[in-house]
Amino acid sequence: MQNFYWRWQFKTAPYRFIAPFFICFVVFVFIPFIFSIYLSFTNWHGEEAKTFVGLANYKTLLTGREFWQSLLNSIIIFVLYVPAMLLLALIFASCLSSSWMKWTGFFRTVFFIPNITSVVAISFVFLLIFNSTGILNQLLMNAGVIHEPIPFLETPWWARISVSLLVIFRWTGYNMILLLGGMQSISKSLYEAAEVDGASGIKSFWYITLPLMKRLLAFCTVLSTLGTFSLFTEPFILTKGGPNLATTTPVVLIYKESFQNLNMGYASTISIFFFIVMMILSLMQLRLFREND
Amino acid sequence: MRKQHKTLSIVMLLVFLALAAVFMFPFVWMLSSSLKDKSQIFASPPVWIPHTFHWENFTQLFTERHFGAVILNSLFTAVTGTVGALFFCSLAGFAFAKYRFRGKGLLFGLVLASLMIPMESSLVPLFVIYRELGLIDQLWGVILPRLTSAFGIFYMRQYCMSIENELLEAARMDGCSENRIYFRIVAPILIPAFASLGIIFFVEEWNNFLWPTVILRSEDHLTIAVAIRALQSGVRTPYNLIMSGSVISVLPMLAVIFIFQKQIFAGLTDGTVKG
Repeated sequence: MQNFYWRWQFKTAPYRFIAPFFICFVVFVFIPFIFSIYLSFTNWHGEEAKTFVGLANYKTLLTGREFWQSLLNSIIIFVLYVPAMLLLALIFASCLSSSWMKWTGFFRTVFFIPNITSVVAISFVFLLIFNSTGILNQLLMNAGVIHEPIPFLETPWWARISVSLLVIFRWTGYNMILLLGGMQSISKSLYEAAEVDGASGIKSFWYITLPLMKRLLAFCTVLSTLGTFSLFTEPFILTKGGPNLATTTPVVLIYKESFQNLNMGYASTISIFFFIVMMILSLMQLRLFREND
Repeated sequence: MRKQHKTLSIVMLLVFLALAAVFMFPFVWMLSSSLKDKSQIFASPPVWIPHTFHWENFTQLFTERHFGAVILNSLFTAVTGTVGALFFCSLAGFAFAKYRFRGKGLLFGLVLASLMIPMESSLVPLFVIYRELGLIDQLWGVILPRLTSAFGIFYMRQYCMSIENELLEAARMDGCSENRIYFRIVAPILIPAFASLGIIFFVEEWNNFLWPTVILRSEDHLTIAVAIRALQSGVRTPYNLIMSGSVISVLPMLAVIFIFQKQIFAGLTDGTVKG
């Protein structure tokens, strides 16, 4: 008897250990996913009965402008901030890993603080700073750089730039930490050998650091891609997705359609397309991981 | 050569101090604005240091906006969510790392799948399910979807790989049940991993906004990020209150980073650079 229980508890252990994850997966991922597909074929507004409308939502989505615009916005914001952010993170990381730099611990922490503090709080501060009568415009005007306030949050392109600056502010430190980790794993002897051969700081960076960091930079890029496409809080608070949909990312669109306009059916359809986009991006990420292994 | 290094090092330090000032400016502005009168927020010329400190911006949040409850709610969701997630992720991670069993590949595939299905794409159905289960406006509702995370399972699996099989076998020889092995042997070994991952989870939960804002309704049930956003209503938004709320939300996180910077940075690089 004792023996039977013993075998039973050994055999079932992994299943028991994975059960909580499995239950959560079924309830919070799998069922909602199936339910989403069902809802996308209905004309449901949250309260009254759901009417089956076939492919009407899909037609609206494919022929309408909103969803494509939201994808385009994500791509534009991505192009605006990712290269700048990664360059900045790379510069920060290489300076902080150089032996001439002092107070590296302090700087590492300072640049990381924006990432660990509340997105909502920081988005609101940016709202104050970037306002047409805000501190940034006043400083620039006092310095004589501009004569008219820049409409940071009022015109489509400036709004996208402002959101991008906010994202750069929040994520540069994070990427810097990842790159620093990579740089610290490069063996010192490589640099010493380069120094003996007369390669200066810039040269050794170009010929040793960069090639070895390529994969990590690619990884950071993929992470940023996923992050950009699921961007929500920053544009939602800073620009409310406007002006004229310019900063409406897919998730902002889903939120507005489902919880403000109560077009639950249509929002589900957008969700499915959003999921397909994210899945393509995740598969890219997995391939990258595989190459790493 | 030496001299060159010295000047370069000083120049770099100065440049970085300037950069640090730029990165810290929004926080300085947040603090300054949190002590202003509403009329001074967009004042021209800008008010750097308010003449009189309007501490009532802070007290008002507690007396009129339930911020006492809000802070407790945020702590509750962050602590409970973190502890639960660490427990469930480490259990699953341990199972994937150290057991051979039928269906392992399939179950691991589900972990990958959950990594690929972002929560944002199931907002609507989740909301409906929540309404059916009566979880709307409940703090438990905020915590539940975050109890397991694919990232957490990966992280813990990676960490469990390093545990010696002999150690587990020896414990079995001594008559330890599998549950006991987890609690007595695996969990103590995982303490550093719990620390790194726990801080990441805690910070994420404290700052979490999208899902709480979807389900929380009553003023005294909100978590801090949602409560700050809820101040933005009416025609004339009290940005000074929003800033004082923001200061309250930022302070604990500053404490977290100054106390736990080692674990935080280790947690980030472990998961990516080596993984």
